[in-house]
Amino acid sequence: MSGRILVVDDEPRILHALETTLRGAGYEIETAATGEDALTKAKLRPPDGMILDLVLPGMSGVEVCRELRGWSDAAVVVLSVVGDEAEKVAALDAGADDYVTKPFGMEELLARLRAALRRAQPETEPVLRIGDLEIDLAQQAVRRNGSLLQLTPHEFRLLKLFALNEGKLLTQRKILSEVWGAAYQTESHYLHVYVSQLRRKIEPDPARPRYLLTETGVGYRFVAPKS
Amino acid sequence: MDMALPKRGVAHHLAALLTSAVAVALVTALVFGLDAFAPALSLGVLYVFAVLPVAVLFGLAYGLLVSVASMLAFNWFFLPPTHTFRLTDGENWIALAVYLVTALVVSALAARSRAREAEAERRALEASLLARVAQELLQSEHVQDELREISVRVAEALGVARARIELDSVRRPDPGESALELRAGDRSVGRMFVDSEPDPEIGERVATSLASLLAVALDRERLARRAVEAEALRRSDAIKTAILRAVSHDLRSPLTAIRTATDGLESVELELSEADRAELLATIDAETRRLDRLVANLLDLSRLELGVAEPKPELWTVESIVGQALNELGPRAERVRVALAPDLEPIEVDGAQIEHVLVNLIDNALKFSPDAPIELISEQLDGVAVVRVVDHGPGLSEGELTRIFEPFEQGRVPSRGSGLGLAIAKGFAQANGAQLEAESSPNGGASFVLSLPSKS
Repeated sequence: MSGRILVVDDEPRILHALETTLRGAGYEIETAATGEDALTKAKLRPPDGMILDLVLPGMSGVEVCRELRGWSDAAVVVLSVVGDEAEKVAALDAGADDYVTKPFGMEELLARLRAALRRAQPETEPVLRIGDLEIDLAQQAVRRNGSLLQLTPHEFRLLKLFALNEGKLLTQRKILSEVWGAAYQTESHYLHVYVSQLRRKIEPDPARPRYLLTETGVGYRFVAPKS
Repeated sequence: MDMALPKRGVAHHLAALLTSAVAVALVTALVFGLDAFAPALSLGVLYVFAVLPVAVLFGLAYGLLVSVASMLAFNWFFLPPTHTFRLTDGENWIALAVYLVTALVVSALAARSRAREAEAERRALEASLLARVAQELLQSEHVQDELREISVRVAEALGVARARIELDSVRRPDPGESALELRAGDRSVGRMFVDSEPDPEIGERVATSLASLLAVALDRERLARRAVEAEALRRSDAIKTAILRAVSHDLRSPLTAIRTATDGLESVELELSEADRAELLATIDAETRRLDRLVANLLDLSRLELGVAEPKPELWTVESIVGQALNELGPRAERVRVALAPDLEPIEVDGAQIEHVLVNLIDNALKFSPDAPIELISEQLDGVAVVRVVDHGPGLSEGELTRIFEPFEQGRVPSRGSGLGLAIAKGFAQANGAQLEAESSPNGGASFVLSLPSKS
């Protein structure tokens, strides 16, 4: 995987560590210590992706995100701190693709960045295979280890959305407006219960979900289970 | 002796005059009745029975009035020549003079004893009033709250309609008001405003006693407040010390482990196998996570104590929150045996906070039963989903069952964590309307019971 990544953090040690590791992972790296600096650099040489600290002197990460989205669709992964769900959600609503919480593991950051850099695939494949699941988009059928699962239409649409965005964070707002329609995007009330129902059908052990992971307070992420 | 008419109402004087007239008339009638049986001259002494009650009831002035009126009546009706004030007989002059002097002396004595009695009554009233005031002040935490009640009593003692006590006041009296200085020694406590001038002697006496009582009560209040402040300060100091001790221990041990591991990895002298290197790296990873959890816990605790951990309730299934908690704990959660009831009703809570409660409970259970599996079981009761985290550790003593939720309480095995996890769990549970209690399992080990109200 390669690409140009702009790393924005006001903490020089973190900046340095990220620069070293990401370069090691094959990316071309540029750094900025403030939001203003980041936007200037992004305008001069548009990056493929950006790793953006939410807490910056001056312009905040959320503001950088919002402004960047006005003219760029670079993948943005924000760095946030524990407990600041509201800030996280604000950044995601402002157009960030994903987040990691400080202190984060490098592997996790790389996985998020990879998923964010991957453009949404056009629905060319009629059958998606993720883990033991086989999702037939044309037939609207889901099989686990070959046996057919009975899903309601809403559950299927939910699973389809997740499967098409494998590895990516989907906010509650995004899920609600895609599956139920724009008018429902703040009705997060019943989403968790729907997800629970879906889990009971697709997860081998619903109390230990391996496919459909909750990002508490933010949304959900569908992943291929680690074997 | 005070000869002036006491300051009383017109009604009082009318009553005195009427009583005097009736008394003189009654005794005169009596003398008429007895005149047939005894010489009139010897009956003059009966007028003492007119003088005595009037002097007792209305004081010396009316006593004297009745004395003079009695002699005049006696002279007019009974001493010859009757129906005149003239006297023909010389000895009658002497008799009249003796009667008058007797009446005067009697009325003076009666009035004095009456005044003494009244004085004693008044002092008793004052004493009982001050005793009540003292009691009220002693029972009360705030002098200010009692002033209204005290004012009513003081007004009663002073014989005025209304009194108002103002602490630390130097206000001038309004028109129609007079002010009594409340001074205890050379310290001014405040002023008392009354709507009419009380007897100066009584006013002085009551004001002095009241001022002393108020001064003592105010001092007591100030000392009590200072003691509370000192206690709060001492407690917050104790908490700070506990935090520092816990935190410095909890920070230092992972730091030491990390330092040792990095030194090992860096060392050129050591010959490390691939497995050794992997283990050192795993140590660094685990210890960094521990540090991270400690910082998060401290942050949560301070948010809970500041009351800023406002829950955002949403509809969740117990299953999904349990799932998140187990996921959060990673590979360590493999030792948790989960048995969820199939009929659990949805709950309306802040998912992140209840997840946090479960993570801390499971984390605690894992710590205290390092080898045995722990159990997470649930049941649906009427309107409540109950989740139990059961370990097979050393269990809890009776006292620990409640104390275990206090911050920095380390419970069974000391120095295995900062003692923050359970305090935070309890705080988040309560913020979400859930209950968290500790129980001792009959077969040893502890059991933490989280009761989550179902959303009906």
